[in-house]
Amino acid sequence: MADLLEVQGVVAGYGESVVLEDVSFTLREGGSLALLGRNGVGKTTLLLTLMGMTRLHKGTLAWRGEPLAAVPPHHRARLGFGWVPQERGVFPSLTVDEHLEAIARPGEWTAARVYQLFPRLVERRGHFGNQLSGGEQQMLAIARALMVNPTLLLLDEPTEGLAPVVIDELVVTIRKMLASGRMAAILVEQHARLALQLTEETLVLDRGRVVHRSPSRSLLEDPGTLDRLLGVA
Amino acid sequence: MLSALPGVLFDGVAYGSLLFLISIGLSVTLGLMNFINLAHGAFAMVGGYACVVATLRYGLPFGVALVVAFAVAAIAGGVLERVLYRRLYGRSPLDQVLFTIGLTFMSIAAATWVFGSGQQPVRLPDTLLGQTRILGVDVGIYRLFLIAIVFALASGLALLVTRTRFGARIRASVDDARTAAGLGIDVERVFSVTFTLGSGLAGLGGALGIDVLGLDPTFPLKYMVYFLLVVVVGGAGTIVGTLCAAMVLGIFDVAGKYYVPWAGAFVIYALMVALLLLFPRGLLRRIR
Repeated sequence: MADLLEVQGVVAGYGESVVLEDVSFTLREGGSLALLGRNGVGKTTLLLTLMGMTRLHKGTLAWRGEPLAAVPPHHRARLGFGWVPQERGVFPSLTVDEHLEAIARPGEWTAARVYQLFPRLVERRGHFGNQLSGGEQQMLAIARALMVNPTLLLLDEPTEGLAPVVIDELVVTIRKMLASGRMAAILVEQHARLALQLTEETLVLDRGRVVHRSPSRSLLEDPGTLDRLLGVA
Repeated sequence: MLSALPGVLFDGVAYGSLLFLISIGLSVTLGLMNFINLAHGAFAMVGGYACVVATLRYGLPFGVALVVAFAVAAIAGGVLERVLYRRLYGRSPLDQVLFTIGLTFMSIAAATWVFGSGQQPVRLPDTLLGQTRILGVDVGIYRLFLIAIVFALASGLALLVTRTRFGARIRASVDDARTAAGLGIDVERVFSVTFTLGSGLAGLGGALGIDVLGLDPTFPLKYMVYFLLVVVVGGAGTIVGTLCAAMVLGIFDVAGKYYVPWAGAFVIYALMVALLLLFPRGLLRRIR
């Protein structure tokens, strides 16, 4: 069987500029991948490239063996990409309920199930996107992505700017989501240890290239390498 | 002086209703895709001429002619969006302005060639002619009809936008087109549909407005400034804001021309400057 996602020699960026110099990796169905690296090495650009929102200069993307390069973003969502954008991208003029309904696609994730996962959002159902706290916005961004009933969840710095206690709550939920093993995930995260604990495999980027790939556990047990790659202890 | 006030207010509201009906499509287009469509008035003109042709040449009743006006303008808008406008999305504002002003002049030339340069007559049904007294004020029945239609349509539009799934998709696309697309919303299709609907409403406004605004080939240019004012003052992409702005501008334009005729049309420009200083981002910013 073909892998869920196959990225081969991707060179991509915005307009004429190139951010990703040469990126290749594969992800199996239900697998989880942490995407680590210092600021500005191309992690978000890689997620945007998967969503079809950058300019692909070279290389191929394949979804279950089918070429992806010509598929427009809204079709990728329908194929099974569940995108949680950086800085959340919550819609200020939609209520929480509307966020979920406007993009819902049939599947096991329904509004009722999503609200079970994020009970905090229930009391906020009628509030508009810009009336939520940062943590609630992040929960909504994840809840919304689930309503697409994704096969692959793309999480772009879900803990950015959140208070530690909110992060803890969110991590418990993300772990719960991924535990079923039916949904694959790619997680971009500044908190490296957190990302390593949540995922099976890790990819480290530097200046647009993959500089390290290993099981997350082995990197977690090897602080020396982690420090060398990311400059964190 | 003051005794004329209720009548002036009433005429202003009728005038504002028309401005709203014609401008709402422009407002949504600008809010949704940041597309500057200076040719929007041309769709109102198309509706006006469709109404004239339907009533005078084919003898259709006025009510049917209004439906025809909506349909013809909507089709014209939908087809042009697919064939021409689509290529201009994401281009610089200058390209968009040059393209749509060119389209405006083409529409003026085309209308002159087909219909001549004169004012077009409109035959209103007898039931809509004459005056009636409401609360001691003499009001024109046609203007009353106009206000009623526009308020019904505005309520319908507000319900569409705030209560339906399609409305939520429009708002999501206005808020953040990229994220909306990334979540599976076909933003281009949302835009096509709203553009078509907006063109149709402009066409309906052009038809309803023949008796108030007049209809000749220079229509798209003559009223362009008014439509743009409504959108800028109201805030692009908002229904309530567009309605408020259209009413304020309609009332002040009528009142200005009645009470200070020597200042002519300058009154609403002064008003616009004042409103934009007070509300630089529009009366209401977002679609509600």
